[in-house]
Amino acid sequence: MINWIGLWTLTNREVGRFFSVYRQTIIPGLISSVLYILIFGFTLEQRISEIQGVSYTMFILPGLIMMNTLTNASSNTSSSMLQMKLLQQLPDLLTAPLSGLEIALAYIIGGTVRGIVNGILVLLVGVILIDLPISNLPGTLIFIFLVSWAFSSMGLVMGQLAESWDQLAMIQNFFLTPLSFLGGVFYSIKMLPEWAQSLSFINPIYYMINGIRYTILERSDSPVSISFWMAVLLTLLFTSLAIIMMQSGKRIKQ
Amino acid sequence: MSRLAIQIKDLKKSYNNIPALKGVNINISVGEFFGLLGPNGAGKTTTINILTGLVFKDHGNCLVFDKDIVKDYRYTRSKIGIAAQELSVDWFFTIEKLLYFQAGYYGISTEKAKRKVNELLDRLGLDKKRDSRLRQLSGGMKRRFQIAKALVHDPEILILDEPTAGVDVELRHDLWKYLKELHHEGKTILLTTHYIEEAELLCENVAIIDEGIILKKGSPKKLTKELGNSGLTVQIGQNVNDVDISPFLNDLNYTIEDSRLHFSVKDPEKAIPEIIQRLAKINIPLQSIKTETSSLEDVFLDLTGKSINE
Repeated sequence: MINWIGLWTLTNREVGRFFSVYRQTIIPGLISSVLYILIFGFTLEQRISEIQGVSYTMFILPGLIMMNTLTNASSNTSSSMLQMKLLQQLPDLLTAPLSGLEIALAYIIGGTVRGIVNGILVLLVGVILIDLPISNLPGTLIFIFLVSWAFSSMGLVMGQLAESWDQLAMIQNFFLTPLSFLGGVFYSIKMLPEWAQSLSFINPIYYMINGIRYTILERSDSPVSISFWMAVLLTLLFTSLAIIMMQSGKRIKQ
Repeated sequence: MSRLAIQIKDLKKSYNNIPALKGVNINISVGEFFGLLGPNGAGKTTTINILTGLVFKDHGNCLVFDKDIVKDYRYTRSKIGIAAQELSVDWFFTIEKLLYFQAGYYGISTEKAKRKVNELLDRLGLDKKRDSRLRQLSGGMKRRFQIAKALVHDPEILILDEPTAGVDVELRHDLWKYLKELHHEGKTILLTTHYIEEAELLCENVAIIDEGIILKKGSPKKLTKELGNSGLTVQIGQNVNDVDISPFLNDLNYTIEDSRLHFSVKDPEKAIPEIIQRLAKINIPLQSIKTETSSLEDVFLDLTGKSINE
């Protein structure tokens, strides 16, 4: 039996938490995306020719959406979990009649909502500032949803594993950000030497970026079906891992 | 026998191969005010953290109203409210909102929790602070909030881990009064403390724990009678010689110091008439009698050879 009210309450708390500090959780992503558009759109674009038949600013925008989505989704769960551990809030959850599944789901949904809000806002910025055409809106939303859920789950794994802000920052700076940049946000991998192209294929974020780029611009370095199934696979993998870890309680109990 | 609210059987726990609990057994009846008394690091917090699901046990069983805390965790946790020793911090929400969240975790909707939240904020003197964040509260208010949080789902069992640690005297007395009221209303209360006065004043029964072992259980009165150093000091009008009086008092445990006789007895008040009678028989004039009742502190000292605050 599920404690639905408990699940709803914790989800509500997680969503309320990031909305209450929107200056930290929503505005920065928007500002940096606008800056990318302004810098690339009004300066660099005149020197960089089109990529795959679209303007450079338009080409990078799907990647910006994805980057914003996945960093926000993962940092919501990871920072919230670590904060609860460090500020002695976690006992409130662990002594309540909530199962590991319910706690994990509430966190994941909270992070997913933040990922979606941030992703959609950057999408809107693209539509408003550069007339971004969206060839398949449901497809775009499905990618934003899947990536938000997958990386929110990944963040929950990170949050359970981490014991300090330093460790969390290390995962973010040495793993997530480089993979995002190397996943083809700013370039087509066809512009890379062959060995670098092969390396990109083992970067999961490459598939996410190309997947959403296809649903928006109908341009992609790899088939959209592979990107879709990769997103589903990542979602299932990280969700299972986050739930199993939470249910075992090994990283959050003594 | 009265129904048991909490049963702890042969509970063992080690941290990195260092034993924290070495086979703890405790029974607490429904409606009882029970104290777990011991110095820092004795195993008090580990015991209640296992009971509430924060720490894994290595061995043994814990039952709450006859249900296992692992198998039936939803049931057992819904019956317990815990006020932890460590004060939690939250930067995001008002204390009123936090109480609604807490009720929600226990499956109580905001609508249904409203009456209880208002009652608790009022009763614990937090009503005017309902829109404040935790960081804006004083230490004493945070402590009271901790208790409100433990009670918001109206649990039958209240567990308090060192509830008055680091609070001023006035608040300590306020909290004691409130805990007595809750007990009077029928709540089963398990309190951990290293304040002797607190245990003596509030608890019907205590268990003395040290180094992960329960050394003794019973009511504070019974324990001090059994193990303390209670006695009577009789001031007499003259110096006495042991040779003269020992034939009349040799079945009693006493010492002589000039014109003072000290009798070690379990119940000083009951022993007064007997001692007066004996001394009168041998014509020893009495000037004053002073009773010395031992405290749980003496009991602890007796059992462990060290002070509880060491």
